[in-house]
Amino acid sequence: MSTEAVAQPAGRTRTRAKARAKVGKGPGRGGQVLLWLGVILTIVFCLFPFYWMINTSLKTGAELSTGHLFPHHPSVDNYTSIFKNSDFTTALKTSAIVAGGSTIIALTIGSFAAYALARLRFKFKFLILAIILSTTTFPPIAIAAPLFKIWTSNSIFGYHLYNTYPGLILPFLTFVLPLTIYILTSFFQEIPKDLEEAALVDGATRFQAFRKVVVPLAAPGLVTAGLLAFIFAWNEFLLSITLTSSANRRPVSAAIAFFTGSQQFEIPLGTIAAATVTITVPLIALVIIFQKRIVAGLTAGAVKG
Amino acid sequence: MNKKLASAGAILACAAIAAGCGSSGGGSTGNTVAGVGSNGKTVTPDMAKNAKGNVTWCIGKDTTGAFSQVVKLYNNQNSGVHVKLLELPTSADQQHSQLTQREQAKSSECDILGMDVIWTAEFAAQGWLRDVTPAINARKSEFIPATLGTAQINGKYWAVPFNTNAGFLYYNTSKVKKAPTTWQEAYQMAKTDGGLGYQGARYEGLTVNFLELLYSNGGKVLSDDGKKAEIDSPQAQQVLSFMQQGLKDGAVPKSNSTWMEEESRNAFQNGKVALLRNWPYVYALAKQAGVKFDLVPLPKFGNGQPASILGGYNLGISTYSKNPGGALSFINFATGPAAQKKFFIKSSLPAVITQTYNDPAVKKAQPFAPELLKAVQQGKPRPVSPVYPQISQAIYNNVYSALSSGTSPKSALSKAQSQINKALNTF
Amino acid sequence: MSAAQATVAARPRRRSEVSERRLAAYLVSPSLIVIAIVAAYPICYAIWLSLHQYSLIHPGLSRWVGLGNYRDAVTSSEFWSATKITFIFTVISVFLELVIGLGMALLMHAAFRGRAVLRAVVLVPWAVLTVGTAMMWKTIFDADLGFANQVLQALHLPGGHTVWLGQNGYAMAVMIFADVWKTAPFMALLLLAGLQVIPDDVYEAAKVDGATAWQRFTTITLPLLRPAILVALIFRTLDALRIFDLPFVLTQGSNGTTTLSLYAYQQLTQNRLIGPGSALAVLTFVIVMAVSFLYIRLVGGNIRALADET
Repeated sequence: MSTEAVAQPAGRTRTRAKARAKVGKGPGRGGQVLLWLGVILTIVFCLFPFYWMINTSLKTGAELSTGHLFPHHPSVDNYTSIFKNSDFTTALKTSAIVAGGSTIIALTIGSFAAYALARLRFKFKFLILAIILSTTTFPPIAIAAPLFKIWTSNSIFGYHLYNTYPGLILPFLTFVLPLTIYILTSFFQEIPKDLEEAALVDGATRFQAFRKVVVPLAAPGLVTAGLLAFIFAWNEFLLSITLTSSANRRPVSAAIAFFTGSQQFEIPLGTIAAATVTITVPLIALVIIFQKRIVAGLTAGAVKG
Repeated sequence: MNKKLASAGAILACAAIAAGCGSSGGGSTGNTVAGVGSNGKTVTPDMAKNAKGNVTWCIGKDTTGAFSQVVKLYNNQNSGVHVKLLELPTSADQQHSQLTQREQAKSSECDILGMDVIWTAEFAAQGWLRDVTPAINARKSEFIPATLGTAQINGKYWAVPFNTNAGFLYYNTSKVKKAPTTWQEAYQMAKTDGGLGYQGARYEGLTVNFLELLYSNGGKVLSDDGKKAEIDSPQAQQVLSFMQQGLKDGAVPKSNSTWMEEESRNAFQNGKVALLRNWPYVYALAKQAGVKFDLVPLPKFGNGQPASILGGYNLGISTYSKNPGGALSFINFATGPAAQKKFFIKSSLPAVITQTYNDPAVKKAQPFAPELLKAVQQGKPRPVSPVYPQISQAIYNNVYSALSSGTSPKSALSKAQSQINKALNTF
Repeated sequence: MSAAQATVAARPRRRSEVSERRLAAYLVSPSLIVIAIVAAYPICYAIWLSLHQYSLIHPGLSRWVGLGNYRDAVTSSEFWSATKITFIFTVISVFLELVIGLGMALLMHAAFRGRAVLRAVVLVPWAVLTVGTAMMWKTIFDADLGFANQVLQALHLPGGHTVWLGQNGYAMAVMIFADVWKTAPFMALLLLAGLQVIPDDVYEAAKVDGATAWQRFTTITLPLLRPAILVALIFRTLDALRIFDLPFVLTQGSNGTTTLSLYAYQQLTQNRLIGPGSALAVLTFVIVMAVSFLYIRLVGGNIRALADET
């Protein structure tokens, strides 16, 4: 009755090899080969375009229009030129400020809301949760045009918010805030109640219990939510191109799309590649370090069933 | 759970009830540029005299470096005005979006707007440009008259011509032995000698290319009074079928449908096509790349007259500019003999002032200067209208559909006609 | 419509209940206020804008047209074409992402070393800047100099001269491919987490009962993965319906790739038709919300559970 005695399946599918592997005895030899094939395919599939980007970023001049798999004359010219280009470095700063700002705000007020949703009893909880979650479904185009008009026509304390940091941070909250609430609510729910109860018994107010007991325990959740929110905000494109126009207020996603190239390249392919790689490498590093947390955050609620 | 749905429905329902039955509304006033002339911010020549301060010049990407050189030359004069060059993307459509976005936001970031000639009417109608009639009148005789036509609306001038343009047919002399005199001949040569390229992507450039053939064949876009579309004509169908055929039998490569100016130039320089319709700017770059080529004015279509479309850029001063005097001072320099000569020689950007064409150095560097002058003097403008973007889209969307997706010329053109009529009646 | 309240404990809690409600109000209101300002108000303003037309010829002039813009939109072939294109893109890309993601998840779930590496590798597409990769795909699929055609030609495979981004169908294929590349790994992670909670004994029991691998997959794995699959489907479907970056960068909407968001954007910015453009944006919003409500009906139980679990 041992699984090793089970004959090799005829039409080998990846899933069958997998299913057998799940049982823990490991796949048979045919399945093993298939497994490794799948692994290699997956790695190539995921990494090749990124490799291609690095490849392109090291090429210059005429070589950019060839399809060489390796740069024949690798050079870091593209990288030096983008960093000399103040538009790019400013865009990096802008993205950091805008994505960071919206993330921090979302984490703060989002954690309050998430705590209330996870712990407290009050009416309309379901409706509020539905409203918050439905905001994640808003198509950005639906708020881009009215925001453009509002930001350019109306002034708040004498400021027009068009082409400013707050002018981007606020709209970004539309999707960053619900995301953090969604993730944090699940995290808060997983924290056992007894710790808070104990604090309450000791005389702390609800809010103190929240601050001193729950938040430290939910720190991993906060990191996860913050990281995910930051990545989504970093990638945002539509609002970034609509609500800004000058280079010093444009986030990096918009700046790259409108790269005119800092040198007299006809098509600034090399510099765009260098810029994308530069931006992505720290993100990838972050994502790899925190991969377990990220996965946990993304799947919050999914697994609960 | 469906409270949200209900409340959304309620909002729409209330709006519907309040709206009554459909559109009410004032009549549209046709396509007169009625908004022009209402901002009252005129720029006079003396404003440039003692101007000081910073000026930002917003214009599309400088592919040859001439823009920055001229800016540097000007700044070195130390007149008190300092100019900064702000480059917009290469694509004209994106330049348009970025300029309109800034002007809608009443931004003072761009003092000088580098506008494709076709946007001048639109920008003027929206009140984004200052009236520069006095400034132009002070130097009117210097300019080629046809170029001034693109900046004149309702009797006033709203921009200063910066460079003009007319298309040429380049041909690789190692593959094509003699210049074609008709488009039909050119396409025939392309079949055997290595292909013909033009700007076939779905954008303004396609409108230009199509109109060059259409006008030569005697067709029109608008009626003479400019009030209705006349693009659905036998002449237009003939031209469109001809272009379709060119793609079908390989005279024009299929990838032409993704080419704008730069891509077609690269294709020509790399030898992918032996004939190329493009603007004069290619001359300097192709020479630099060592390609053996020559160029001729555009051939005629069949028995028609050769036609060229007037292109080029105008420089407008933004209504929201904080330094109109400084802007005018630089504009005068950029449209003066020294700068225009530099632009012409270094970047093949055709000058708008007549004297440049007679300069011996220019004639030496650009031997085709006399033909270019003639082409410009006889150049036809595209429809001057504040809704030109929509008119152009009607043309290029449908021409592209015929060329890239095989739509029949008859249905493509009739759709273009109805779309243009709709645009002309825009509120 | 209060959710099922837990029964009140023996200890009288009236005062703390009230203070709980008040605390909850304080805690939740900042978020609700922000959402009202940056989401609800703009949407209402967009609806307001969509009921007017703004003159292109007389700046500042506007007129009330009621539902006129909406009527124009739903009678225009461009709108339906954009809707069709958006739905085709959504259905195909989400389906592919699900299948490929599931395959990757099953792969990663295999009990072997290197799973951590694989998980990190799989996160790379998701971490790379979307706009940057879109530009890379644009050059890879360039008809003349792109890597894709060069490879096809080098291997003497057919299609080496395809004008990828300049032909109907092919342009959509490239768009779908680019989207699948970026998000199949994301799906894989969501599904992997779902896989990992399925206890092994269930499979053991099934094996003892003589179930084949395929049967175990379809009768155990898939049903138990259902919640994870549904959540992944919701997020991906809604994202796909709103796609903008890819068509904007790859084709600017040419050759059958003008999605709803892109169409509305072009009307708003290129043509500056604020009224009609807003109507299109609102219609896009309505379509996306309708789909999300459909999904909520399916998955509604999860959200209720979330709300009830206190």
